Amino acid sequence: MLLNQGIGITGMGIVSSIGDNITTFTHSLQQGISGIQTKEAITKPPLSVTIAAEIRNFSFVEKLKNIPNVPEEKFKKAKRLGQRAPFVIQMTILAALQAWTQAKLFENTVASDRIGLVVAGQNSTQNYQYNLLSQFVDNPEYLSPRYALEFLETNQVGVLSELFEIEGEGVAVGGASATGNVGIIKGHQLLALGIVDVCLVVGVPADLSPLDIQGFINIGAMGGKTYNDQPSLACRPFDKKHEGFIYGQASTSVILENQKSADQRVVASLAKVSGYGYNLDKNSSANPNLTGEEKAMKTAMQNAEISTSDVNYINTHGSSSPLGDQTEAEAIFNIFKNHTDTVYLNATKGLTGHCLYTAGMVEIIATVIQMKHGFLHPNRNLKNPIHNELQFCGKVATKYTIQNALCNSFGFGGINTAIVLENID
Amino acid sequence: MSREEVYDIVQETIMDVIPDVEKEDIAIEKQLKDIGANSIDRMEIVTMSMRELNVKIPLMSFAGVNNIEGLVNVLHENVNN
Repeated sequence: MLLNQGIGITGMGIVSSIGDNITTFTHSLQQGISGIQTKEAITKPPLSVTIAAEIRNFSFVEKLKNIPNVPEEKFKKAKRLGQRAPFVIQMTILAALQAWTQAKLFENTVASDRIGLVVAGQNSTQNYQYNLLSQFVDNPEYLSPRYALEFLETNQVGVLSELFEIEGEGVAVGGASATGNVGIIKGHQLLALGIVDVCLVVGVPADLSPLDIQGFINIGAMGGKTYNDQPSLACRPFDKKHEGFIYGQASTSVILENQKSADQRVVASLAKVSGYGYNLDKNSSANPNLTGEEKAMKTAMQNAEISTSDVNYINTHGSSSPLGDQTEAEAIFNIFKNHTDTVYLNATKGLTGHCLYTAGMVEIIATVIQMKHGFLHPNRNLKNPIHNELQFCGKVATKYTIQNALCNSFGFGGINTAIVLENID
Repeated sequence: MSREEVYDIVQETIMDVIPDVEKEDIAIEKQLKDIGANSIDRMEIVTMSMRELNVKIPLMSFAGVNNIEGLVNVLHENVNN
C-alpha cells in the first residue's frame, strides 16, 4: 500500500542569482527581475558566450550568518564542513539550512533514521576539477587528499547527512535538466513507500567548466548570440526570437514530509505534492519528444487524481530553446486543447536562466511561492509568442490563485517529468 | 630556511585546514589529532605544507612522524636539501 496521500512541502531554501533566500527570491519573481548579466570573470580560454545568471560576490560565511534560527552548534558545524569545501557544497549547505529551519526540524525533531536525503545533482565538480588541472599537470604531488572525497557526487550525501544527522536512506540522483524534478520524485517515493517520514531533497548547482560551456555551444543548445550584449533580453522562452538556453546557477532545497509527521510536529505544509509523471522516450540524444512530454503531464495528473480542468497553471520547462519550446507548447496544447483559456503559463528560466540540475527545483519553489502569495510571475521577454492559442503570462506579475499546478522538466537523454502541486490553503 | 620559518608555515597551514584552531592552540610538541585534525586533515596539512614550501617529499618519509615537531623536522630537512 503506497502512502500517496498527503505528502507535502514543509520547508524550502534557495540561493540563486535573483535572491539568496526565499524572501528575496519571491521579491524578484514579483518584480520580474532577471539574474542574467555579463559574466564577472573572463574564462580561460575566453568563450563566445559571456553571459549567465551567476551567483555573484559569494561569501559562504557571510551568507551562513544571515540564515536565522540556526543553533550555535549547527552554525559551527556548517562552517567547519563548508568553509574550505568546493563552491557547490557551500551552496547546498546554505539552501538546506534554510529549508531545515523553515520546517522547524531543529526544534520539533524527527527520529534520525526516519529522515531521508536525496541529493539531486550530477557532474557538480566539473569546474572545481577544471580549475585544479593546470596545477595538477605540473605538481600532482600537491593535490589535496580531500579531492578523493570531493570529486564524488555522494560527497554531498556525506556532508549533509553529517550536518543534519540524517540516518535514513541517502542517494544522489541525476536526470540532466530534469534532475530537480527527479530528486523530488525520488524523495516522494521514499515517503510513499513508508521508508522515511521526512526527506531533505537538495539541488546541487551546476558549476560548469569552460569545457562544458563550449560543449553546450557546440551542440547548439546555448543561446547568447544575438543578445550577448543585452544579457537580460537573452533568455526568451516561447518567444519567436528564442535561440537557446542561458546558463544559470542556483542551489535549492525542499523538505518533503508526510502529513502525519507534519501534524505531529505542528508544522504547516506549504503545498501538497500530489502526483508526478516520469518516463523515458528511449532517446540518447538532445532532442525533445512530444509523446514523452505529453505522457509525463498526463501521468502526473492521473497520479494526482485530477483532470485537465483542475489545472490552472503550468510552470513550463521553457528553456528558450527553439525546438524545446515548440515541442512543449505543442504538448501542452494537445493536452489542454479545451481549457487553454484557463491555464496560465510562465517560464521561470526567463528570470533565473537555466539552472540545469536544479532548474526543476527552482521552478517547484517558484510555483509554491506563487501559490502562497497569489500571483504569477512575468514572462519578461515574451513579445511574440510561438503559439497563439496558449495563455502565456505577460510582462508584469498578475494576481492569481493557483489551484493545481503542473511543473514540467525535460532533460537530454529522453528524460520527461512533470509534477503536480496542489494549493492547500 | 630556518626551522622556525618552516614551523610558521606549518602553523598557517594548520589554521587554514582547521578553521576553528587559533595560533595559541598550536604547540610544537602536540599531535595534530589533539588539536582536532582528522586523518584527512592531517594528510592535507602535509601536502599543503609541501606546496607552500615548494618541496616534494615521498609520503613514506612522514611514516615515523608522531607530532607537529616531527612534521616540521622532515619538512625542514628537505627544504634545505
